[in-house]
Amino acid sequence: MNSNIPFLNASIAQALDYTAPILFAALGGVMSENAGIVNIALEGMMRFAAFFGVWGSFVSGNPWVGLLWGVGIGILLGALHAYITVKWAGDQIISGVAINVMAMGMITYLLESVFKTTGYSPPVAYFGAPASKVHLTFLKGIPILGAFAELTILIWFALILVVVLHFVLYHTVLGLRIRAVGENPHAAETLGVNVFKIKWFAVISGSVLAAFGGLALSLGTLSSFTNSMAMGKGFIGLAAMIFGKWTPFGALGAILIFAGAQVLQLFMQGTATGFAKLIPLGFYLSLPYMLTIGALIGVVGKAVGPASDGVPYKKES
Amino acid sequence: MKALEVKDIVKQFPGVLANDSINLSVNKGEIYAIVGENGAGKSTLMKIIYGLYTPTSGEIFVFDKKVDIKTPHDAIGLKIGMVHQEFMLIPRFTVTQNIVLGDEPSKGIVFDYKKALSEVKELSKKFGLKVDPAEKVANLPVGIQQRVEILKILRRGAEILIFDEPTAVLTPEETEDLFKTLMKLKENGKTIIFISHKLKEVIAIADRIAVLRRGKLQGIVEKGKTSEVELARMVVGRDVVLKIPKAETKVRETVVSVRDLTVKSKRGIIGLKEVSFDVCAGEIVGIAGVEGNGQAELVNALIGFTRPVKGTIAFDSKELRVITPFNIRKKGMAYIPKDRKMRGLVLPFRSRENIIMGQHTLYPFSKNGVLNNIEIDKFTTKKLEEFDVRPRDIHTRARNLSGGNQQKLILAKEMSMEHKFLLASQPTRGLDIGAMEFVYHKLIEEKERGMAILLISLELSEILGLSDRILVLYNGEIVGETTPDKTNEEELGLMMLGLKKKKRVTK
Repeated sequence: MNSNIPFLNASIAQALDYTAPILFAALGGVMSENAGIVNIALEGMMRFAAFFGVWGSFVSGNPWVGLLWGVGIGILLGALHAYITVKWAGDQIISGVAINVMAMGMITYLLESVFKTTGYSPPVAYFGAPASKVHLTFLKGIPILGAFAELTILIWFALILVVVLHFVLYHTVLGLRIRAVGENPHAAETLGVNVFKIKWFAVISGSVLAAFGGLALSLGTLSSFTNSMAMGKGFIGLAAMIFGKWTPFGALGAILIFAGAQVLQLFMQGTATGFAKLIPLGFYLSLPYMLTIGALIGVVGKAVGPASDGVPYKKES
Repeated sequence: MKALEVKDIVKQFPGVLANDSINLSVNKGEIYAIVGENGAGKSTLMKIIYGLYTPTSGEIFVFDKKVDIKTPHDAIGLKIGMVHQEFMLIPRFTVTQNIVLGDEPSKGIVFDYKKALSEVKELSKKFGLKVDPAEKVANLPVGIQQRVEILKILRRGAEILIFDEPTAVLTPEETEDLFKTLMKLKENGKTIIFISHKLKEVIAIADRIAVLRRGKLQGIVEKGKTSEVELARMVVGRDVVLKIPKAETKVRETVVSVRDLTVKSKRGIIGLKEVSFDVCAGEIVGIAGVEGNGQAELVNALIGFTRPVKGTIAFDSKELRVITPFNIRKKGMAYIPKDRKMRGLVLPFRSRENIIMGQHTLYPFSKNGVLNNIEIDKFTTKKLEEFDVRPRDIHTRARNLSGGNQQKLILAKEMSMEHKFLLASQPTRGLDIGAMEFVYHKLIEEKERGMAILLISLELSEILGLSDRILVLYNGEIVGETTPDKTNEEELGLMMLGLKKKKRVTK
């Protein structure tokens, strides 16, 4: 069994790598939807940020510059979504779809015109390079914890962000106001809370989080942009947010179910003996989805979001 | 000292002059009532004072200073607070979170919930408004929720408290409690503006009463110097027969008979216990009771929303084994729900669409699944006339109708369906006098046409005035049966509170 420890740790580390982008997206959704703005553009925003991150890193040779480019595009897209849905009380789904469609076409075009390639960009400096990782060597060799010995900074950031976001939403004045605006903006308004300001803030910061998700893909897991990014990870994040009942820890838990099955699959692939070897791989692959369906049917109870989530807010005149 | 003065306030909405140069002045420490029918401009005026609407012209003075109120924030700053008709509460938040929102005690950026809790506790003690600061608002009854609203504005230091139809959603007991609260606030030197269309309440509580009609101030009367009838005349602009016309009763065969009906409430507990009664053609059976004593369960079982735990419902002496809204309506039931906006109408639909709902599959409205618009429009035009729905435009969306006209549209819809049994659940809830009168006349008309009518109402005057027989519901049981000539409001009141029982004469 001892000989399996490095393999187990490697599998968990790989699962965490898989977790980070989805977690960022889910947290972005949590932020935005707690203030009552649905953001299905998470996917598109991830794609934009993944590309701009690589571009920035390509131009400068520094992944941190790439990160800034990615965050910058996240702010811009968030501002666009907020401009449509908050300022003009537009339909949030339509705005989200528009951004997703824009991400499909525009990034494919930019990929070809910037890098003169089709399908993928050349490799650039990234956070996943051995030298750029966060080294906690003393953890090596310990079962499970060993998985945390060499992670990218983005994965750590995603995990820490869960705690930070929980604190912000449930223990700060700002968080109370964000949730109030998502539940009943009219009530908040009559108490002098600036509903529009809060919504703008939540949409933009949520979009920045989604942008980090894209960066975790192109500058964390990989060192380049591929045209299939973000491969539905934004939508999985959205599902995890709902499954996690619009809370940061809930979203983390939901994603860990997916990731757990991922570990199991990787682990079993390498080490299964006897009867376990007879179970087809597809079974492990489908496990997270089956668990999700089971959970949604009734194990976790009804998932109810913020009462005014998705409802455009207009001031009375 | 004048707490609030408005001068020549005008508010012009597209097509409607909601406020037509209104002048009012409210003294500090008085309870000032503003009455008028729905659409008279009361709420508009209050929304102007609270900064939710901008007046077209006019001036506002608060504590003798001219002010410009653009947002609720400005109003709060001027110590004006408002308890809205639809509560501005967040059900998922606790009482405390709701009260402190927007002005939270904090340490740095951190919300200091403990301090907030103790602040709310203190506040509730100071004004004698009992609440549990840590309870979720969703778990509170309406009366207590309103208390939370009041505390919320008191915490902002409100000196002028505006109540927009505060009793519309309250039970009689909760109304009593509210009035006690208002008196306490008055003792504390607060100024109260009370908007209502319930004249009895206004006469009971207000020091002065201003009457609005169609956006114009009709007059101001002092406490004790008016009567309900006089006030009603001012409100409606003509003599109103508050007395309900009596019709001769010719009771015929039994239409609906309910036996040992036991129904669970939404919360899963037994809400209606072994209730039995009959309703015959040509009579109105009134069900009196405080809200929440089994009315909702009875209604839901009768229309097939809830399956009874026990007991039977028979229609035309035939027991119905499974009741669904579809089959009971086919048997001949019409239903006036207590909640117009939820069950009564599809708000975004036009009058012509709402009015045929339920019969839309029938000839002549449709054939082979295709709607016959010509017939529908003809029918709608006729019915809008007959039921005096204003505007007469068949294309008006239900959302844009006033409460009274929405109710008339529902009556038009339900009463034009082929039926022999009418279930009227609080049919005058939230209506002004004119519309109320209309509903009464229609119910009497129905009765004279030989319909069996079950009337559920919280208003005793309505029950006594309309019913041929009265059943009293208390705690899910029928605690008494009587007739209007053998009882009075007092006795019914006692029965409704479970303090008196009366042997049932008939079944």
